[in-house]
Amino acid sequence: MFRLMLTTAIAALPYAASAQEITVGAANMAPYLDPGRDHSNVGSQFYYNSFDTLIDRDHTKLEPEWVPALATSWELIEPTVMELKLREGVKFHNGDDMTADDVIFSLNRMMQATFPPYVVRAKDRLGNFTHAEKIDDHTIRIHAEREEPLWETLISLQQVMIIPEAYTKALSGDPEVAEDSDYEAFALAPVGTGPYAIESFQPGEKLVWARFDDFWGDRAPLARVNVVQIAETASRVTALKTGEADIITNLAPDQLSLVDSDPNLKTEGSATALFHVMIMNQNHPKLQDPRIRKAMSLAIDRDALNEALWLGKAVVPSSHTMVEMGALHQPDLVTFEYDPERAKALLEEAGYDGFEITYDTAATYYTNGLLAAQAIMEMWAAVGINGKVQVRDKWSGNDPEMMARNWSNPMYFADPFGSFGVMWAPNGPSQSEGRFNTDADYAEKWERFRFSTDVAARKEAYREVMERVKDDPAVLPLYRPFESWGMKQSVNWAPMPGHIPYVLDFRAGSISLADS
Amino acid sequence: MIPYLLRILVKAVVTIFAIVSVTFIATRMSGNPIDTFLGDGLTAEGREELIRYFQLDRSLGEQYLAFLRGALSGEFGLSFVDRRPVTEVVAERLWPSAQLLLASVVFTILVSIPLGVLAAIYRKSWVGSAVMVIAFAGYAVPSFILAIVMILTFSYWLNWLPVVGNGTALHFIMPTIAMSGVLIAALTRFTRNAMLDVLGQDFIRTARAKGLGEARVVLRHGLGNAGVTVISVIGLQIAGLAAAGSVVVESIFSWPGIGQLLVNSAIGRDYPVLQFGVIAVAVAVVAINAVTDIAYALADPRIRLARS
Repeated sequence: MFRLMLTTAIAALPYAASAQEITVGAANMAPYLDPGRDHSNVGSQFYYNSFDTLIDRDHTKLEPEWVPALATSWELIEPTVMELKLREGVKFHNGDDMTADDVIFSLNRMMQATFPPYVVRAKDRLGNFTHAEKIDDHTIRIHAEREEPLWETLISLQQVMIIPEAYTKALSGDPEVAEDSDYEAFALAPVGTGPYAIESFQPGEKLVWARFDDFWGDRAPLARVNVVQIAETASRVTALKTGEADIITNLAPDQLSLVDSDPNLKTEGSATALFHVMIMNQNHPKLQDPRIRKAMSLAIDRDALNEALWLGKAVVPSSHTMVEMGALHQPDLVTFEYDPERAKALLEEAGYDGFEITYDTAATYYTNGLLAAQAIMEMWAAVGINGKVQVRDKWSGNDPEMMARNWSNPMYFADPFGSFGVMWAPNGPSQSEGRFNTDADYAEKWERFRFSTDVAARKEAYREVMERVKDDPAVLPLYRPFESWGMKQSVNWAPMPGHIPYVLDFRAGSISLADS
Repeated sequence: MIPYLLRILVKAVVTIFAIVSVTFIATRMSGNPIDTFLGDGLTAEGREELIRYFQLDRSLGEQYLAFLRGALSGEFGLSFVDRRPVTEVVAERLWPSAQLLLASVVFTILVSIPLGVLAAIYRKSWVGSAVMVIAFAGYAVPSFILAIVMILTFSYWLNWLPVVGNGTALHFIMPTIAMSGVLIAALTRFTRNAMLDVLGQDFIRTARAKGLGEARVVLRHGLGNAGVTVISVIGLQIAGLAAAGSVVVESIFSWPGIGQLLVNSAIGRDYPVLQFGVIAVAVAVVAINAVTDIAYALADPRIRLARS
């Protein structure tokens, strides 16, 4: 019996023998893997290791610095047409050579989408692109409807990562035709060109990456990576301690000391490029007076929330921008602030009679979401607002009865268009859910911000949009939550500033293991 | 015996049908997967498009009929989330859950029947009291507390046992104990009470008077007769555990079982997975109950004869 236990114990030792193999304990494993249709925080962790875009950026830098990836060069040959030269000798994980046809297929599956999950994703961010066309075996062109200030940004999105055409079409039905079922099958057996091939994938459970020896770029530093879902935080921390995991994701702030106090372990973290926000329903009969919503916003001491809930490690913004957005980041612009006296005055002016204002939150969806909601009720009470937290697990943003609730506005790409723009565009999700109104003036300002090719003009237009939001608020960005990873001392890894949130980047130069 | 079995079968089919229908309606009344899962950053138009794509725009009646038609021909549909046949999704989760359940049941029987017999024989001494204190403690401590205390002790501090998944025999130790805690408490008490009942009967006195050894009296005549009650308790408790008890333990130990799958499907409103998962669990529970009924009848001829 003892021998049996010993041998199983040795078999269970999580690959400690091999220095080039690690195990990641993830709070969540994706239910499917298709970079095109996904924009979830869970899925975003996994694409960059296995897929490439045509243009990439130097992720060690905060400021966008574009670098060649599957395209070796690119230029605008007309204001609305970009020509790209493709890299030669690129192979997919299944052994196929990457051709111009694969690139056209990948781009047009989004730009001319018919598969509903693609349609939904393509509309909010790729709407300005009409199609891609093949010029010759190593040259393609992408056509836009209007002049595009964000060419490189949008061509480097996760949604336009390159996948193999013949492989995908042959997954189901007619091997010559791209059917919806092909895309669904692809999401369970994904193939890309990146440094790690997806060796096995059990949805919601486990993912194994194996180094892809035919990768066109620098060789992957790890031979294998096992990502296993460990949903419970306590189990994740224990798995790190026992050596079952080398890296664990999603450590809450109050667990950092648990990991940091162990001399063999450490934590890495950053303020995530994502806002937790409070939204307010402009069209709720009782909240139509903007002064009431302004007071709801001005009453909230976001710095106090940061200190109490995030140990001061979160970032509280003064407008809906982030430092990642480069020139468009406007730290001097103050459209959201804490001013309880003004909140009181506004309530009095508006004749607020003490009616109840509800604030919806899910119990656990956003880290600290419920605690923040409860603290906000106290802050509201301090200025005389009669607030009440409603815990609901159902999304209520499209419910006309919704008065206020929490939400998140992630940075899908490094531009205000990739965060505020996706959520608050004219006819975007917020307006179409009936809780946010825009008019011709807002649309005009938004158009200038979205499409001006002059950076200064975009910046000015975005400031004007923010002023509109300030005057008739429908949103208050609370903070950028602080996200942490725990790992062994021997693992050199940290989230990089040039990525969208949560990316596990294990490419060359991004991770190394100290000899132990 | 045959009519008795038939009655059990008919009861089982009706029960499963009722459970499935209630699940079908309840899940659809509590929200849809688009609103709960894909709420962030979706336009109303995009929402409509996805609702059509998942065929949720059809009326509840239509959906229900389509589901019944499919179910009768063995087609239970595709998961909304990963678009695989739900039979495949559920099947790969059933075996790990069954393994854990089996381990827990065997462990429970091995521990609690001897404990119950001991508690009955030594009911007036400290041994009996000690056993009952342990049994009550097992009842009072929820499985997740037991699990976390074990994790802290044997993994976090001592680093003896793994906490993630079901890879090796060592992985079974803590989840099995966590699952068994409440079961052991229940079964020990039932075994003790059943034994006390039986040991007070006349035929036991007769057996002793015949000059049989005490061990033979207790085990053969005592436990043999108390066994009927014990079997039914085991059946009921396993059924309860299969239906609900494993959810927490599977979640804590990242056990890739059906409990975790059902919780996630319920939260994400993945109706097809939820429906088929509930069917699978319902079939298992009903089957366990049926087997218990039959075992009961086999162990006690009076039941068999009375009911047929």
